[in-house]
Amino acid sequence: MIFTGFFYGILGVILAGVITLVRVMLGPSIPDRVVGVDTLNTLIVAGMILLGAAYDRVIYIDIAIVYALLSYIGTLVVAKYLQGGLE
Amino acid sequence: MNSQNNDMGLIVKTMARVTIPLIGIFGAYVVAHGHLTPGGGFQGGATVAGAGVLFLIAFGLSETKNRINKTLYSALEGIGGLVFLAMGMLGFGVVFFYNTLWREGPVFNGEPGSLLSAGYLPIMNLAVGLKVYTGLVSALFAIALFRRWKK
Repeated sequence: MIFTGFFYGILGVILAGVITLVRVMLGPSIPDRVVGVDTLNTLIVAGMILLGAAYDRVIYIDIAIVYALLSYIGTLVVAKYLQGGLE
Repeated sequence: MNSQNNDMGLIVKTMARVTIPLIGIFGAYVVAHGHLTPGGGFQGGATVAGAGVLFLIAFGLSETKNRINKTLYSALEGIGGLVFLAMGMLGFGVVFFYNTLWREGPVFNGEPGSLLSAGYLPIMNLAVGLKVYTGLVSALFAIALFRRWKK
């Protein structure tokens, strides 16, 4: 059941996530790592939706929506800290 | 960024005006469907508290200070805990946490799987969501105000 087209899509997302993780680990500056984490968040949302389709569960999409909303806030908090913070 | 009211730029503020109701409604959905879908009181309350964090980040500290009433948030957190305890005491004639609303109550005794089912669980989820939301928002606001409250 899981070895459908969605499963190979998830494998592609995992591959892209590993490449992004290399950037997060090796990023020479802090904004590099922030952009890497932001990309990783979007990839994880895509992976969650593909997993929800592969397992054939509609309610898994809820978690992807919550993760998409909250990862946006997290990136915004780091951006605000880098630009000077709540001075 | 001007240092007067330390909010973020125009794009972030406009996006926050759109996104804060979205996050709030989705968090309320997670809380209200806590007995049917993944999530529940804590997860939904933390999601709605994310909307509070977004407000604090996007509109700055001074704007948030005008909007957040710390007495109200403190009282609402206590009310959330008291409602949870009241639901536990509701079937006290049998035993503590006896789900009397589900067994012979007038409401919340619908078909399992519908919204108005599961007895006291939806009310407890609402109480926990209220408590988590007010607690997290007031804690984060207190941290943001740390050593800045004289201004």
